[in-house]
Amino acid sequence: MLWLLLKKQFTEVFRSYFFDAKKNRMRSKGAIVAWFIFFFAIIVGMLGGMFTVLSVTLSLGLSEVGMNWLYFLLLCGIAIVLGAFGSVFNTFSGLYCAKDNDLLLSLPIPVRTIIASRLLNVYLLGTLYASTVLVPMLAVYWIVNGITFARLICGLLLYCIVTVTVLLLSCGLGWVLAKISVKLKRKSFLTVFIALLGIGAYYFVYFKAQDMIRDLIANAEQYGASIKSGAYALYLFGRIGEGDWLAAAIFTAAAALLTALIWILLSRSFLGIATASGTVDKVRYVERRVKRKGVFAAILGKEFGRFTSSPNYMLNCGLGVLLLPAAGVAFLIMGRTVFEALNGALAVIPGSVTVLLCFALCLLSSMNDMASPSVSLEGKSLWIPQSLPVAAKTVLRAKASVQLLLTCVPMLFASVCVAIVLPVSIPEKLAVLVTPVVYAAFSAIAATAVGVKMPMLNWTNELYPIKQSGAVAIALFGSWLLCAVFGGLYFLVGFLLGAPLYLLVCTVLFGTAALLLLRWLDTKGARIFAAL
Amino acid sequence: MLKIEHLTKRYGKKTAVDDLSLHIQPGEIYGFIGHNGAGKTTTLKSVVGILQFDAGQIFIDGDSIRDNPLECKRKLAYIPDNPDLYDYMSGVKFLHFIADVYGIPTAVRQERIQKYAELLELTGDLGQPISAYSHGMKQKLAVIAAWLHAPKLIVMDEPFVGLDPKASHLLKEMMREHCDNGGAIFFSTHVLEVAEKLCDKVAIIKQGRLIKAGTMEEVKGDDSLEEVFLELEAE
Repeated sequence: MLWLLLKKQFTEVFRSYFFDAKKNRMRSKGAIVAWFIFFFAIIVGMLGGMFTVLSVTLSLGLSEVGMNWLYFLLLCGIAIVLGAFGSVFNTFSGLYCAKDNDLLLSLPIPVRTIIASRLLNVYLLGTLYASTVLVPMLAVYWIVNGITFARLICGLLLYCIVTVTVLLLSCGLGWVLAKISVKLKRKSFLTVFIALLGIGAYYFVYFKAQDMIRDLIANAEQYGASIKSGAYALYLFGRIGEGDWLAAAIFTAAAALLTALIWILLSRSFLGIATASGTVDKVRYVERRVKRKGVFAAILGKEFGRFTSSPNYMLNCGLGVLLLPAAGVAFLIMGRTVFEALNGALAVIPGSVTVLLCFALCLLSSMNDMASPSVSLEGKSLWIPQSLPVAAKTVLRAKASVQLLLTCVPMLFASVCVAIVLPVSIPEKLAVLVTPVVYAAFSAIAATAVGVKMPMLNWTNELYPIKQSGAVAIALFGSWLLCAVFGGLYFLVGFLLGAPLYLLVCTVLFGTAALLLLRWLDTKGARIFAAL
Repeated sequence: MLKIEHLTKRYGKKTAVDDLSLHIQPGEIYGFIGHNGAGKTTTLKSVVGILQFDAGQIFIDGDSIRDNPLECKRKLAYIPDNPDLYDYMSGVKFLHFIADVYGIPTAVRQERIQKYAELLELTGDLGQPISAYSHGMKQKLAVIAAWLHAPKLIVMDEPFVGLDPKASHLLKEMMREHCDNGGAIFFSTHVLEVAEKLCDKVAIIKQGRLIKAGTMEEVKGDDSLEEVFLELEAE
């Protein structure tokens, strides 16, 4: 039974990898393999690469002073935060808000089996996140310090303990979120606010990481002594990776005990929360005079309503709305220092700082990709736009416009901030103002186009189209790749043109691509949408 | 009002609707019956422009749904068998959204929302999010949304499923009133008693092919519709 439920979930999660919804048939074997290689390369290449560099830096510094336990403690901490933070909303939606909860509960399936299948799904997602830290951590340690039987077994045990801890934390936080959400009226915004606090803390640590690592390596013995005397359990935890059997046994037992406790808690509360209809007061209907909207405004309003109704949607596809203005303000405060530091390092290539900052803004804007899951999120309500007297291209333009407005406006603000602070020529300042905004427009239209090409309409949990669909992955990682390519090209050949001309060429390219894609959306894209 | 001519729709190798022709005049309530998978929903979805069909033509009040879909959709309304609406909107927001799309003036929409919501006893729940609605309430909301722009043709797929007896009765009265005012209704149902009492004309579809159509008297004669239907199904 458990296997059946797992198969159902995985079929749903990976459906777009195997099935071409547009052509209503299975993808070819080559296409399936290509998809998996693409996603594997992104996970391993990008996140894994970043944490490999961190692991090497820490391992070389800490193994010299014989404090490998601190190395494990730090990296496992990062893995736990990354894994738990990445999966808490997945736990909440996957466990308590899945659309097929009622169906499964009505079938002769033990509730515990339903929970177990959901939990395994959460476990795998959390493990995926945590592994981007844990795998480089173990590999680097074994390479730097040599591998023994105890280190191998204890390292693997540590991997299991950390991934189980991620699951437990996700479950605990997901349970709290579920408990709160049945009582709240404005839960979307409150959930986003809480999550943003977490993200803020994450970025604070992230930006301070270099200083912290340097400081940590320089004062490792002092910090180590403090942890040993003040929090011996943490020291023991770090010792697992070094091959300490006793530490491994203690924490394995503790993890098993906590797992049992969480299991009992979930088993007792699952039915109550999953079937709760909420106890918030009924909203009284009061007739108000409403202003009449045009068709496009109505569809646009509907799209904004969809976006703001879901914390998952806002958090996963709309962080750029906050990051861009925050980056702008930060640049107003520290921009001159940043410019001088970068200019000092890149003085040999004139204009490179301007180009880098332009593409840094573009990179930040890629955190907004709300247009890419937008078609998929129509789900079973797709009949509404299809049966209304609205041209498919109007619907698609409205979807693109949400991202366009929510990205271009903050982008313009950030660009103005950067242009004000940058001590460069007027043409370069103009390029800083124009290029990122045109790029944002291009990425909004491109995200909509990818969303139409790769729809995922049959979902039981909105997280699947938002987080795990091919359209979102392509929109997000494709944007990163594009920024890296165009940023990098300047250093290879672009500098021959000079920054203003190079950015002008980029702007023309993005603008032309945006217009061509818009034309595609209006014609072929609209036909695909109408036939979905 | 609705003219379906030689409609054919295939899903891969399977022919869901095969050379189906039907004419519905203004003022007619036209019932569409058939077993599960006979092709009713496919026909209805083709009529309202959701599904693209392989052959044939569909005209709504003289306009082809294939050549002029927007004009056709302005004249019709559709209620699907399972009204999956926008859960994140409140009932009233959904109705205003529909009204905006059809360009209904503010005063007219307010009056119609009030009229139909009171009739179907949904006024008190219009401020609630649709996610909090029961199936029947969603069905009532879909009915109000369909009637909001006073369409000429209303296409409904199993409209009585989920409605309580009073709401079912009210919906039947609304359907009759709509047709008495010159509109037309094309709906599918499995409730043969309802079809027999309510419909002016009826069509029976089997494995995608129309096997009988006409006025109620022409189709059933002296027998009950149920007897005729079962007899035709057995052939």
